[in-house]
Amino acid sequence: MNRIAAIAVHTFKESVRERVLYTLVVFAMLMIGAGLILGSVSVGINEIALVNLGLSAISIFGLLIAVFIGISLVWKEVERRTLYNVLSKPVARAEFILGKYFGLVLTLAVNTAVMTAGFYLVLWCEKGRLTAADLAPLEAIYFILLELMLVVGVALLFSTMSSPALSAVFTLSLYVIGNLLSDLRGFGEQSGSAALRGLLRAVSLVLPDFGAFSDIAPAAHGELVAGWQVLSHSLYAVLYTAILLSATILIFERRDLR
Amino acid sequence: MSIEVVRPAPRTLAAVALLAALAASIDIHIGLDREAETERALSPVVYVTSGATLRRLSFGYQGLLADFYWTRAVQYFGRQKLSRGGDFRNLGQILLVTTELDPHLLIAYRFGAIFLAEKPPAGAGQPEEALALIRRGIAANPTYWRLWQDLGFIYYWDLKDYARAAAAFEEGSRRPGADLWMKTLAASVAAQGGELATSRLLWSDVYSHAGNASIRRSAAEHLAAIKAAEDIAQLDLRLDEFRRREGRPATSLADLVHSGMLPGQPSDPSGVRYGVGRNGKAVLGAGSHIDLRLAH
Repeated sequence: MNRIAAIAVHTFKESVRERVLYTLVVFAMLMIGAGLILGSVSVGINEIALVNLGLSAISIFGLLIAVFIGISLVWKEVERRTLYNVLSKPVARAEFILGKYFGLVLTLAVNTAVMTAGFYLVLWCEKGRLTAADLAPLEAIYFILLELMLVVGVALLFSTMSSPALSAVFTLSLYVIGNLLSDLRGFGEQSGSAALRGLLRAVSLVLPDFGAFSDIAPAAHGELVAGWQVLSHSLYAVLYTAILLSATILIFERRDLR
Repeated sequence: MSIEVVRPAPRTLAAVALLAALAASIDIHIGLDREAETERALSPVVYVTSGATLRRLSFGYQGLLADFYWTRAVQYFGRQKLSRGGDFRNLGQILLVTTELDPHLLIAYRFGAIFLAEKPPAGAGQPEEALALIRRGIAANPTYWRLWQDLGFIYYWDLKDYARAAAAFEEGSRRPGADLWMKTLAASVAAQGGELATSRLLWSDVYSHAGNASIRRSAAEHLAAIKAAEDIAQLDLRLDEFRRREGRPATSLADLVHSGMLPGQPSDPSGVRYGVGRNGKAVLGAGSHIDLRLAH
């Protein structure tokens, strides 16, 4: 456990040294601030636009950070040959993968916290005060974090078996497909073929359902998700992440690193 | 004597070249903008007509996309309104896409219906489209009573269907949190549809709850027109009485003041004195800003 924590902390420190991270956070902050402008050029949606734009910025830039740092986590260690140093110590490959994963999740959590603080600062500038009703976006941000946990898992899985460029393509493709699963099911149901319907249903159930974590629009209207839904989404994210990490560890343990 | 040739440093040259390139690109950009503006003005096109498709392609950011579409609807409406005799053909489609992307964006139903229903040149003059928009809003937000109020308003004001307007107000009054006066409004419209007092009740509420300066201004214009129409109706009664009493028609309202039937020369809400027309009826004075068509 201590070894995993040590690798996670090291990964976190390594990630926060990445310049791209700061660039993305700055862009996210600019986009959150742009919510003030969007509201002012429209009619009657100042606060809604601010929440929509702010949460979308947190989600989009979180996704970019998760993908572009996640895909190079293992690859960089192999390229620099620092992995051999780590593995020559009493550290199991599984511990290395788990440490890397939790390190990046920690990075994302800190970034998300910074962006959330920026978002609430802009919201306070717009409204002049914050009330209990303004807590609704926090739930959406929690869902974004759950989604990012899954994305990091996917990126890490691909990064153990292919180059960073291919891993990015695979991860983003899976993210797109994971947002269209309900359409995939709908397509199967409309096809008229029982076999195709069954196949597409099975595929839609096996692939990660990223669309399920979309809670930005309801949050913009101050709507809260039921407690059981928060619990079921959390459970789904944890279980699916466990599956992704298990698969990653299996592949990484069999990988010939010579 | 030798002449020393000073060569500009390569960095200075590069900076000058960069500045020249920037100036040229800005010039080209302005030209492209002008061209694009003409094109936009000539053909206001909605490229994606299905909100459902856009929703699928939005990857969970449909709320943000709906905000952009709503902003586009506002700007499209404003541009067409300013152009006088504008083409509002695409307004309904843009509003449909907006509300399909975010069915809970209440402002798009409420203001969108006003944009659609208002008579030209103030609006698109499409009350049927406005009704369809509000009905979609009610289906997506069944507990929001204000949409029933908006439905009744369109029936009352734009379609002059007082029975349906009363039914809509009545239905809205049963929704949770509905203001008590919705019941009063339903009864008033059912009993006195088309009366100025009922119109004033409706527009007063629009005025006090308008979330936008343009809507508030429009409500104020309607209220001013209603007040002027009521004043003129009252003045006509006095003018008739004057004719009966004096055996001759009044030539100006000063006659009524001199005979003690009016305490002073009355003015309309824009501050211009009323006058008497050739037919002996009260009229708006020259230079009045009141548009009496807005009263009915």
